[in-house]
Amino acid sequence: MSRFNIDFLGHRNIMFAISGVLLVVSIAALLLPSFGLHFGIEFQGGTSISVVNSGDVSIEQMRAAFAAAGVQNANIQTTDTQGVKGFIIRTEVTNPDEAAASAQKVAAAVKLPNDTFLVTTIGPGWGKNITNRALLALGLSIAAILLYISVRFEYKMSITAVVALVHDILITLGIYALLGAEVTPNTIAALLTILGYSLYDTVVVFHRMKENSQHLVKQSFMQMANESINEVLMRSINTTVSSLIPVLVMLFFGGETLKDFALALSIGLLVGAYSSIGVATPLYAMWKESEPKYAALKKKYANA
Amino acid sequence: MDQKQQNILLLAIALVLMVASWAILWPPQKQITQGLDIQGGLSVILTAQETTTSPVTASVMDRAELIVRNRVDRLGVREASIQRQGNDSLLVQIPGIKNAQEALAVLGSTGQLEFVDVQSITDTATVAALAAADKNVKLKPGTYEPFMTGEVVRNAAVQQNPTTGEIEVTLTMNSAGTKTWADYTAANIGKQVAIVLDGTVQSAPVVQSAIPDGQTAISGSFTAETAKQLKTVLETGSLPVSLEFSESRVVGPTLGQDSLRQGVLAVAIGLALVALYVLIFYRGLGLLTVGSLIIFASFFLGILALLSRAGFFALTLPGIAGIVLTIGLAADSSILILERFIEEVRMGKTIRSAANSGSRHGMYTSIDADIVTFVSAAVLYFVAIGPVRGFALTLMIGIVCDIVMMVLFKRPALVLLGESAIGKAPAFWGVPKERAAVTGSKPQKGGVAGV
Repeated sequence: MSRFNIDFLGHRNIMFAISGVLLVVSIAALLLPSFGLHFGIEFQGGTSISVVNSGDVSIEQMRAAFAAAGVQNANIQTTDTQGVKGFIIRTEVTNPDEAAASAQKVAAAVKLPNDTFLVTTIGPGWGKNITNRALLALGLSIAAILLYISVRFEYKMSITAVVALVHDILITLGIYALLGAEVTPNTIAALLTILGYSLYDTVVVFHRMKENSQHLVKQSFMQMANESINEVLMRSINTTVSSLIPVLVMLFFGGETLKDFALALSIGLLVGAYSSIGVATPLYAMWKESEPKYAALKKKYANA
Repeated sequence: MDQKQQNILLLAIALVLMVASWAILWPPQKQITQGLDIQGGLSVILTAQETTTSPVTASVMDRAELIVRNRVDRLGVREASIQRQGNDSLLVQIPGIKNAQEALAVLGSTGQLEFVDVQSITDTATVAALAAADKNVKLKPGTYEPFMTGEVVRNAAVQQNPTTGEIEVTLTMNSAGTKTWADYTAANIGKQVAIVLDGTVQSAPVVQSAIPDGQTAISGSFTAETAKQLKTVLETGSLPVSLEFSESRVVGPTLGQDSLRQGVLAVAIGLALVALYVLIFYRGLGLLTVGSLIIFASFFLGILALLSRAGFFALTLPGIAGIVLTIGLAADSSILILERFIEEVRMGKTIRSAANSGSRHGMYTSIDADIVTFVSAAVLYFVAIGPVRGFALTLMIGIVCDIVMMVLFKRPALVLLGESAIGKAPAFWGVPKERAAVTGSKPQKGGVAGV
């Protein structure tokens, strides 16, 4: 439990370079046609059929059963949760009656009981509704948190926190695009919650800088900022780890719905923890050093 | 009451709450209501489709809800629930239903109301059945032709006939309907007319007289209940909008229980690993954290059981994800308090005063962090639609429980331990030795910072 003394901000250009590369890769992954985001049926309408305990039914048998049931363009994937095999099948059917009927036919064809199937059908208009509400929730929640930071701290913190937040969102979505993971309403919910939570990591460093800057002598703002990071580092690492442990367990041991949440939560936690040190704090410190008071200190002590 | 007694009282309240929680909670699989995605069943959202001429108003939704309730009743299922979703949708949940396909067919039926001349029915068996019982007879498609459809119905009501005292169902019609109805009734006095909803006869009264003005009264041996049912049927025809499926989930019960088992296992492993981590890292203070995690989890589940009992809560899979995240948050708040405490000791405060002020500052920071997450969860709960609301709900409840337990347990326990227990064996508790000489002197560089 020794104190840290790592020169994070002295190496801020390396961290900016890392973030820059991650951002470029993420934006490329989001825009390139061969990657891009895969949206779940909730956003565009369609049917998803989950099957668990499918035993030794093969993907070919499944595909044949869907073809025989008259379902076109079924996208079939296998799943494995704690060693229990299953399938997720996505189709373009938007009529629940028809979807349930085809699931029954398939169950009969592959000789699995009906009660291990989950059939979700989303109508085409509803998807737009869900998307709009999810985006509204994301926007409102970010706005509420930023308002809170502006009121409690200062606008320069608020703006650098927004930059870090946009950085986090882009990289998280970029990772989704690279992994080909499906974006569902659960993803959005997890993302907006965890980003709010991670933002607090940033606020904690800001809070400490604010305190330490009150008797700032014989030191540049950047050096003080670096000390502040080091002071709260143990706490940041430990809270990130203690939040990450249950979420990772959920990612590895949970079923499909839980994995949905867990993936976004774990990526968001890691990216958020990194950006408070690698993005928000250096940007804020650089901005502060342009203020005359701190510029003078910088001249005097920066190379001490 | 001095501070020590106050802290002991707070701890006592925390312990009583924990015991009470277990009393309410046991056995958990019975006491915590399971959502539809866990117990299996059918969940659909029906949305009224607005047209330029017929906006979806509150009264249209009232009628739509009645109609859907009527359809659910026709399925003969118990425990079905119908709730409004937003301004234009209804969420229908039917747990444990066997034949989802039939239910979907009935729920999604168009609500086609027709008036049929019984004499025109070509199937003689049906006609005979209608002579015997005037309702719940199914008509075979193609054996009948309606002379009028339900669109003509303007409204329907139940009333008591002022002269006979009998309960009757009255209906009024639009001008086109009034004309057709006048012609039909004038020509068919003494004949049976069938009122048919989605192919099933709901009532088959005998025409008593010609009705020139559309003002019709249907009498018979109605009870208040059966009259109301017929009224709803007639209103179906007058619903100006159609109801369409927005979302449907058919959950096999085995699948739901499997997911629950995986979820509970994930929660248990998560708790165990977090406990292990804090024990290794914080030694004796980690023990305190494990204790507060146990008390927090008991209280949280107890509250969920209590809310279940009151009918306000059902555990869904997204809800389990919320619980998992909350475990992390609860561990966080403990860590914030401990780190602050250790830092203040390191800065030269006595263990006793560091426990007191460190736990207070750490608690405020945790509450700040909790509020930020709570705001996100609340926005999600009130703005988003669909199952993610279950995630937001458990998260919100969990955060409130965490704050309660910080005040009742985490802080008082640390302050009490800080009085003497920790000072006697700082190595066991994982706390740096006091720097006695510095006590009470000028603050160290960096001062007592905010976190």
